[in-house]
Order: sequence, then C-alpha cells, then structure tokens
Amino acid sequence: MASPRNQSVRDPTHYDYSSSTGSPERNLQDELETDFFQQSANDSSTSIVDDSKDTEDEELKQFEDMAVSRTAYLPPELLFAIFGRLTSPQDLQACVFVCKSWARCAVELLWIRPHISKFKSLENLSRTIQMERPSFPYSSLIKRLNLTTLVETLNDGTVLALSACNRLERLTLTNCTNVTDTSIMPVLENNPRLLALDLSGLADVTDLSMTVISKNCKKLQGLNITGCKKTTDASMVAVAAHCTHLKRLKLNECDQITNESVMAFTRHCPNLLELDLFKVNKITNLAVLDIFWRLSHLRELRLGYCDLLTDAAFTGIPQRQYESLRILDLTNCDKLTDESVEHIVEMAPRLRNLVLAKCRLITDRAVDAITKLTKNLHYLHLGHCTHLTDEAIKKLISACNRIRYIDLACCQRLTDRSIMMLASLPKLRRIGLVKCSNITDRSLMALVHSNRSHPCALERVHLSYCTNLTVDGIHELINSCSKLTHLSLTGVVCFLRKDLTRFCRLPPAEFNEHQRAVFCVFSGPGVTKLRNHLNHLSLTNGTLAPDQAYYDDREEQETGLVDEEDEEDEEEETQEE
Amino acid sequence: MAPMKLLSSDNVEIEVEKEVAERSVLIKNMLEDVGDTTVGAPIPIPNVNEGVLRKVIEWCEHHRNDPPQPADEDSDSRKKSTDIEEWDQKFMQVDQEMLFEIILAANYLDIKPLLDVGCKTVANMIKGKSPEEIRKTFNIQNDFTPEEEDQIRRENEWAEDR
Repeated sequence: MASPRNQSVRDPTHYDYSSSTGSPERNLQDELETDFFQQSANDSSTSIVDDSKDTEDEELKQFEDMAVSRTAYLPPELLFAIFGRLTSPQDLQACVFVCKSWARCAVELLWIRPHISKFKSLENLSRTIQMERPSFPYSSLIKRLNLTTLVETLNDGTVLALSACNRLERLTLTNCTNVTDTSIMPVLENNPRLLALDLSGLADVTDLSMTVISKNCKKLQGLNITGCKKTTDASMVAVAAHCTHLKRLKLNECDQITNESVMAFTRHCPNLLELDLFKVNKITNLAVLDIFWRLSHLRELRLGYCDLLTDAAFTGIPQRQYESLRILDLTNCDKLTDESVEHIVEMAPRLRNLVLAKCRLITDRAVDAITKLTKNLHYLHLGHCTHLTDEAIKKLISACNRIRYIDLACCQRLTDRSIMMLASLPKLRRIGLVKCSNITDRSLMALVHSNRSHPCALERVHLSYCTNLTVDGIHELINSCSKLTHLSLTGVVCFLRKDLTRFCRLPPAEFNEHQRAVFCVFSGPGVTKLRNHLNHLSLTNGTLAPDQAYYDDREEQETGLVDEEDEEDEEEETQEE
Repeated sequence: MAPMKLLSSDNVEIEVEKEVAERSVLIKNMLEDVGDTTVGAPIPIPNVNEGVLRKVIEWCEHHRNDPPQPADEDSDSRKKSTDIEEWDQKFMQVDQEMLFEIILAANYLDIKPLLDVGCKTVANMIKGKSPEEIRKTFNIQNDFTPEEEDQIRRENEWAEDR
C-alpha cells in the first residue's frame, strides 16, 4: 500500500468545470467522483494549498508528518468516494475528528459547498476563513457559496469577510438586497475563477462592480444581474468584451441597457446559449436581428416586454434553421403580428416552449403556423390573444399532441368546444383558462371523461372567473384528477362559501379587501381537503349545498365581481411555475 | 463463452470467462489492446492477491448480465443513495481487511459498480456514529492532540449551527 506520506490531498485546481454544459448546479458528487477516479494514479506531491501561501503549506506538512492509523491506508480518492456517500453533514463532521488523514478529506468535502442557513453560522465561517494560522486552508476550500437563505440579514460587512475566499467558482447572492458594491467588489477582485455569479435583485449594485467583473472574472460562464437596474452600457460593453466564455446571461429588468450592450455580447460571446432580456425595453429590432445573425446555437431567448420590437425583428432574420432554439418568450411584444409567428416557426422548428402572452394582435393564422411545431411543442402560452377561436385550438390540438402546459387566459371567444379538444391531450399537466368566461361544466366533464383510458395527468388547473362553473362540475373534476395540486377558482361565485374557502390558501399580503373577498385558490393539502369535504357533503346530504351552519355568508358572495387586478395577480402566480 | 486466465499477485492462475473478466474496464481495455488472448498467457494482476481476486470474480460472475451504467443524469440518485441490493449486502459481509481489499481492487481494476457497493458499505458503517465510535469500528488511532482537536472544532463550528 502507498504510504500515507505519499497520499496527497487532491489539488483543488483539478475540479474541472470547463466541460460543464448543464445547469449551474451540476452535481458536485459527480464531479468529485469522476475526478477522483481519473486521478487515482496521481500521487505526486500536489499540495492542497496555493504555493503562495507558505504558512498554510507548513501547517499541512505538519499533518503529513504524523503517523497515520492502520485503516486509514485507503488512498484519499477512496476516502473521498466513501465520504461522498454521507448525505448528512453531521456524519461528515464526525469524520473530521476521527484522525488526521480522514480530517483532510472530510474537511474538504465539508467546505467545498458550505450550507449556511443561519446568520450565526456565516459569522463563524467568516471568523475561520480570516484566521491567521488555520489548521486547513479553509478560505481556499470554498468553491460554491449560496447565501440566498440569509437575504434580509446579509450586509456589506458580512460579505466583505468573504473576500478572504480566493477559489470561489459559484457565488449566489439572489435578493440579498442590502449588499452593495462596497463588499461585492473586493470579493470579485479575489476570485478570478468565478464561473457563475448571481447578483439578481441587488438593486444597489452599479457599474463599479460590473467593471471589476470585466477586469477580473474572465472565466465567467453564467451571469445573472436581473434587477441590477443601475448597470449601464458603460460597464456591460466591457463585460462582453472580456467575459467571452459566457453561456448564460440574464439581464432582466436592467432597463438602462441598450442595443449597444446586447450587440457587444453577441459579438464577443459566441457560446451564449441562454439570453434573458425581460423588460430590457430599450432594445430594438436591431438587437434581435444581431442575436439571430450571430448566435445560431442559442437555446433560450426571453424578450418579454421588449415592446419596441416589431415584425421586422423576426421577418428580417437570415434564412437558416435555429435547430437548438427551445425556448422563446415574447410576452407583451404587442406589436408583433401573425407574420412574426410564421417566421419564427419556420426558422425554429424545434421550439419546445413558446410564450406569446399578450401579443394581442395575433390571430388564428399564428396558431396555424404553430401547428407546424407538431410534437416538439410542450409549452404554449397564448393568454390575452383574444382573437383566437375554437377553430384554431382544434387544429393546434390535432397537430401538437404532446403539449403539457397550455395557457389560454382571457381568450374569451373560446367555448367548451376548445376545452373538449384540449381534454384529449394525453400529457396535459397544466391548463390555464382564467377568464374564459364562456366555458361551462361541459368542459369539466370532457376533462374528466377523456381520462378514462389513462390516469388523469392534470396537476394545475386555473379556472378563475369562469363564472358559469358549478360546484358539482368541480367536484367531478377534483375526484377524477388524483394528481391535482393546484386549483384556482377566484371570482367563481358559487365557490365563495365559507365551508369551501376555508381550505383556500391565504391571499397574498398585498391584496386589498375586495381582492381578498373573491380570492379562491386551493393548493397542496387544500385540494385534498376540498375533495374530502365535497365527498363528505355528497355522501351525507346527497347534495353539495353547504351545511346549514354556513348559510350566513350570503353577503360575501355578492362581492364576487370580476376585477382586472385579480386577474393580473392570477397570471403572475401562474408564471412563477 | 471463451475462457481466459488471470494471474494474481501471489502467482496463482485463475480461469475465468472473458465476458466475466470484462466487467473490469482495465482488463477489457487490456484485451482490446493486445487482441484475442484466449489461448495466450494469463493476464497478470499484480496488485490483487488470489483470495481477493476470487472474491472479485465471484461478484463479476453474479453481475455478468447487469445492464450498463445509467447515463450521467440518472446516476445522481443512485450515487446519493446508500441502498444496497440484498445479494451485494451478503457479498460484502466479510472482515474489514477483505472489505478494504475489495474496494482497492475494484478501484484498480476499474469496476465502478463494485467500487460503488464497497463505498456504500463503508459509508453505512460510518452513518450515525460519533468520532470515537468510528475509530473503534475501524480500529483507527486518534492522532490529534487535544489542542489540535479543539482548534479544528472551533474552526468548523459553523457546520454545527443547524
């Protein structure tokens, strides 16, 4: 067996993320293990520490000189493989205190992605990484840090301490709103290995931080600055020029950003796969044309609320195929017409998710084009496309039978005929019919009865303001769809009974009194409780009328009026999915 | 299936079917490199003694028809879980010396599913135990001074605050 003296701890630089193709949260264990096995022969004296850190080096030497116990003759890569199976941090922590050779492996695994859920823990962690002579070079062990659980408590002081880290690869500070340039800048300066950075919701972060990114974080592959509204082209053009490895870029709501930045990114970052420009509403057709001109491998593009865009943005796209494009979100690009949709489908035949909500000008002709996506289409949002008719839905369903998610909110021309068609979709999991006010229990019966051959797949059903529905109809639906976890019936007057609404979830805090009065959304256990209650009523009373005790609620029921704001909220809620 | 021979570190020839031996990626690659060796000399396995090699072959025989490893995305749950199928559990009921020898051999011979089972077995022996109990289980000597232990405890305090 190799003597423990030769068993060096793996050089942390060997974590190879460069081949990462998936989500930012690629499985850590996977990386560790593949790596360890590949490196099993690597017994050279690679040290855990950076050469520049002499003190830590000495510290480690001290450990290496110690005699190691009998069983610890397993080489470190196998200890890593074993410790990697320990799902509980407590077990991993126990391993730290067993003996020195175990400590080295266990500490590395414990620190590589510290799970911090309390402010106190972060304080303790900060104290350790700032120590003069730590037992292990902790500050270099941390690779991934996600502090989103501490949103409110996190401030510049605590984040500043993290600048002791110098090998961060992923840093996530989503919605840590008190954090500013003051602390972000030093952290970025010390971490040139950053691959993924999420500063979304940090409204006070400015061009100063972005400039540090451009100078120092040139390996960056994922950048999310959603809501960093102070950032401008001044810094983003530089980020584009220097962070040329970017694959995922989210600039949502950064509404000072213009075509200039977008075109700099398309020019310098040929690997871009995901580009989110939600509400970057200064951009024009020129930016979109440039995106398609240069990024032929793009997978996801979100342009919601970029409302300067017109048909020319899409009709002018080069005549080639964008086989990789899976997701396109054009919410509220309300100048677009059927012509855009026809071009989009022509050039991106493998679109899986298409969002055209609030593209109010589109008609049945657009849906005709969409049918060409056939089985590739899984997700379709046509909310507020009020011109659509039953005829369009009929064609859509017969061509695209793998749709899992469909939203037709406010398509008020649609009738039960459309829903009867939808009911035949075998994989339909989520259906949004808010304010499709023509539909009746006949739609519900269709959804129920088409499911005879296979178990009902429906999980989320949105029926708010479908005012013709009855309690009996919902009762049938809820009994036949065993997977149902969400059912919204806001403004459906017959449901505004206390014996039913007590199973609702609470209305959002920002709702006014009137909105609360009509709010009616069942989710999770609430759906089960509603189902049980309705079954109980029907068994004991033979009817679904409320028990006598609930008859004093007439007044509240009268308030069930349709309200534009409610509907908006309903939609936002559905978009969160 | 064609028979072939392996030579253990203590110079014992062991006959094994090629298909079984090829559960080892190391042997499989070797065979591919040298071409058909079914009639040739035994393949030396210098790092594994007879007892361990026979044990490893026993495992390979039992798992000769296992489907190939799932693709990367699917393996996540498998790796996280410490569930071990019944036959493998019984197979791993050996003394610790042998258990670690099997793990080392699986690593050397590149038999990932066996390495997997071995690591899971050891992980299960660690689970829920205190450092002292772990030392006792594996006969490990505590080589920390009280001062060192105390310092490391303070340094890692953050991980306890849950």
